[in-house]
Parts: sequence; C-alpha cells; structure tokens
Amino acid sequence: MPERTTRAAERGPDLVVPLWRAVIAFRVLTLGLAVGGWAFARDEYPGTLAPVLLLVAMAVWTAVTSVAYARASGRRTRSAVVDLAGTLVVIALTLTTQSTEGLHGSAPIITGIWVAGPAFALALTEGRDGGAAGAVVVWVAVTALRARVGDAEFGNLVLLMVSSVLVGYAATTTRRATVALQEATAAAAAAAERERLSRSIHDGVLQVLAAVRRRGEQIGGEAADLARLAAEQEVALRALMSAGPTTAAGRTDLAASLRLLATPRVQVVTPAGPLPLPSATVHELTAVVREALTNTAAHAGDDARAWVSVEEDDTGVLVSVRDDGRGIEPGRLDAAVLDGHRGISQSICGRVRDLGGTATLRSAPGEGTEWELVVPVPQAVRR
Amino acid sequence: MTGPAAEQDAATTVMVVDDHPMWREAVARDLGERGHHVVATAGDAAAAGRIARAVRPDVVVLDLNLGTASGVDVTRDVVGALPGTRVLVLSASAEQSDVLEAVKAGASGYLVKSASLDELDDAVRRTAAGDAVFSAGLAGLLLGEFRRLQSGPDDGVPKLTEREVEVLRLVSRGLSARQIAERLVLSHRTVENHVQNTLRKLHLHNRVELTRYAIEHGLTDT
Repeated sequence: MPERTTRAAERGPDLVVPLWRAVIAFRVLTLGLAVGGWAFARDEYPGTLAPVLLLVAMAVWTAVTSVAYARASGRRTRSAVVDLAGTLVVIALTLTTQSTEGLHGSAPIITGIWVAGPAFALALTEGRDGGAAGAVVVWVAVTALRARVGDAEFGNLVLLMVSSVLVGYAATTTRRATVALQEATAAAAAAAERERLSRSIHDGVLQVLAAVRRRGEQIGGEAADLARLAAEQEVALRALMSAGPTTAAGRTDLAASLRLLATPRVQVVTPAGPLPLPSATVHELTAVVREALTNTAAHAGDDARAWVSVEEDDTGVLVSVRDDGRGIEPGRLDAAVLDGHRGISQSICGRVRDLGGTATLRSAPGEGTEWELVVPVPQAVRR
Repeated sequence: MTGPAAEQDAATTVMVVDDHPMWREAVARDLGERGHHVVATAGDAAAAGRIARAVRPDVVVLDLNLGTASGVDVTRDVVGALPGTRVLVLSASAEQSDVLEAVKAGASGYLVKSASLDELDDAVRRTAAGDAVFSAGLAGLLLGEFRRLQSGPDDGVPKLTEREVEVLRLVSRGLSARQIAERLVLSHRTVENHVQNTLRKLHLHNRVELTRYAIEHGLTDT
C-alpha cells in the first residue's frame, strides 16, 4: 500500500494531503494550548526555566515535523516514527519540569494532548493499525510519568485510541477514493482518446476501405478479391471501434463483446444500449457463440451467411446463432457424428448448461441451423 | 427483408447525404445506374436541410456520422419539414444508439453500409413506396427499445403484442418475410403488417413524448 500511495502521489492529486494539513494544524493548536496551560498555572511548576525550555523544544519539534509533513517526501511512515521518537523524548523531558512526587500526584503535565500528534501521523501512513499502535505507545509513555492507571488514564487511552483509529479509517478510505478517482480520470482520458481515434478512423481509413470494396465488387475479377479483403478489414475495424471496455468492476458488455465477432458473412444484432453481465458469463457465452459460428463456417456451405442476435428479457439473455446454409438432414445424424458435428453440439450444450442455461438446435435441410441459447441472469447482478 | 420492388411511375428522386465525398459520389453513381434520379448530394447537416427543402426528394439516403452534427437532427428536420420525403439511414453498424434515435425521429429504414448494391437499390425503392426497410439490425434495436421502455415507469408506453415480438425476433435473426410467414403459418402480408406496426407504435410514442415535452415546457406555438 505505501508503495502504491507513492505512485499515486506522483500521478495526480492525493486526497490524503488535507488530512496531513489537519495533523499540522492539530500540532500547532495543541502547542498553543500547552503554552496557555503553562501560563495560567505557572505557580504549579517548581521552576520557570525547565518548562520554558521544554515549550521551546516542543515548538522546534512542531516546526520540524510540520515542514516534513508539508512535503510529499516527508509524508511517510519513517517520518511518523521519527516524530514519535522525538515526542517520547519530550515526554521524558517532562521529568525536568515537575518533581516525581508531583507527577505521581496531580501536578499538571505540560505537554497536554500535543503528544497525540505522531499517533495521528502514523494513522495517516499505516491506517487503523498504525494509529492504534501509535496511540498505545504515547499513552504508555505518559502513563509511566504518573506511575498509575486510574479512571482518568483509562479514559485517556480510550479517547486516544478512538481518535487515532478513526483518523486511520479516514486515511484508508480517502486513499481508496484517491485511487478510484485516478482510475476514473484515466478511464475518461482513455475514452476521449478512443473517441478521437474513432473519429479519424471513420473519416479516413473506413471510407477508403468501403470505397475499395464497392468499386472492387463492381470491377470483379482480381479486384473482387481486393474488395473482399477490404470488406473484412472494414467490418473488423468497425467492431473494434464500437467495442466497449469493461463497464464496471467484474462486468463486461455482452453486446460489445459479441459485436467483435462480426465479419462480412456474420451480422451481429444487438440492442442499442449495453448489456452489462458478469465478465465470466460474457466470456463463456462469447466463446460458445464463436464455436457455433466456427461450426457454421465448416458445415453450412461457402455462401452461407450467419446472424448472431442477442436480446434481454425478464429472466436473462437470449442469444441466437443462425445460418442460412445447408442445414442437417434428419438421417444424417450418424454422419454428423463422424464429421464432428455432434461433438461440437455437445460442447456447446455442456458449456451453456454450466452457465445454468439451455441450448437448443433446430435445423432442417435447406433451412440452415439455428442455435438458441437461453441463459438466466439473477436479478441481483443486473443493472 | 427483400420483397417485390414497388412499381415506379417515374424515377424516384434521391438525395445522398454523407460527409465523405468518395463514398457520397460512389453511392450517387450506383443509384443513378440503377435508374434512380439523384437530384442532390450534401456533405453536412446544414446543407442537407437547406438543399432538401429546395429539391424535395422522395428519399434521403443519410449517413448518421456527419462530422460535427448528427444525422439524427437532419432526420428530425427533414421529416418535420417535408411530409413527402422519407429518410433511409445508411450507416455503420457501430452507431447503434444513433440509428435508434434516427428511427425514433422518423426515419423509415436502416441499412448497414456494408449492404450490397442490390440491397440498397431495393431499400430505396421500398422506402419511396412508403414501406419500412426492416433489416435484422433494426429489428434488434426495436426489440431492445420496447424492452427498455417497458422496464421503465409504466406511463402509457407502447407495448408489443406477443406475435409482434415473435416476428421482430425472427427478423432480427435474419429470416426473410417469406421464411417468417412459413414458420409462423401466417400470410406474407400479415408478417409485413406486424413489422410496420411495431415501427408505427414507436413513431407514435415518440410524437406523444415530444408533444408532452413541448406542452410541459411551453414550447407550443399556440
């Protein structure tokens, strides 16, 4: 996670930065509270020099850590640990400001809640666990000064733990949001780039391919071969341009996935909008359709055309793969076994059954073959 | 679906709109060779609307991707301004949602750009005769659209009868009207009627929606 955060910080705005500013503000404010607290209760301290020196030390440490936390290179666990060590030194130096008896009694401790700073810093770099660990270390150090664990100390522990853990949660959540935001920004940039590319391909390459196909078909002969090649590339390019990426986490657009199967002989018919389904289902269904089309290419005859159509209904999706080829004669089933027809059929039925659906094949001589695949999709995983 | 070409008293007047000159000229020449009278061509949306008003063609063969402007607007403009002119969308298969919008805006038919010259010739004749040109692709779009309408709030949305769904489904699988008639044991004419009805329902619904929108937003002239 820390490594990923560093990379994220290089890529764009890091939403955790405002939390670091909050930690700096907390440090400065609590330093002010410590100074004020000492000024109002000066007669409760045996001397003057030691508290003043300690307050100066706290101010210096606040300045050092603030400068560190204000820079991207300083916002890391190592800085927070150094901060914690420095804060422990300050806590130890409290011994110079009060007598041991006073500390064991109820004499004020000059640092106050300023000491919670490194716990929050750790919470920002390491999340909940870092915050909790920092809180425990700080609390143990402060409690050691008092040399007792009473209700007040226990209350302090709870407060320190709760606030550090909350800061840790906030940091983790914000860090995830940062990553999500950066991914969304990247996706938007990619979509814009794709749009730009599509437009220039549409205006240039595709028009030329379409024109070559058209003229080639009219001239005939060798030009017809060129026309056929141009037509194949035209269809492939159009399909690529219309293919959508994964629509959301773990989901893929079935319609876009099937459109990639279009060729001059294969027309893919879909609704206008996307059909987002679990990616595994989409990949498997696409593979099944490709298999059925391969079967068509092998058995339907050279001039056969094919249609792939996909439709959504209340219970799931309905996919049809139809060709207008020779079809299978009723008596040819044995022959079909020999030429592998049935093997493919079994494979298609099996794969669709694994998806919880059914596959039906209808065919008659001269009528081509038609696969109908019905795959249920639970309401919960749909839009 | 291919059917008998409509009888032609005079040559159909056609206007070809496409932003790419190479394609535009090729389509115009091909249609001319097939006996259609190509009276105008246009390369952008503004020119298309202006020229169509001047020449009042029977059929506008329209590409939806016109660079900056969309052919959907041209469709709405032409269908609204010229009652005698029909729009045949000739488009790349990649522009699915635009095709649906154009059909809702009043286009009478849709053909993919990869269609053969025979198919285009037949489609222009049928469009001129007032028939809907129903390709498998358009049937799939309509099925999806009616399905989408029904999953939304039930506010007077048009519904397809079971028979209409059945017919559209078979069209979307590439069956011809004759094959569908055989399979469903219907007459050829009944199948054609079912197909026309689905398009009419969508056009009607779209007009109702537009009127409602206009009234709600105070856009009516009266």
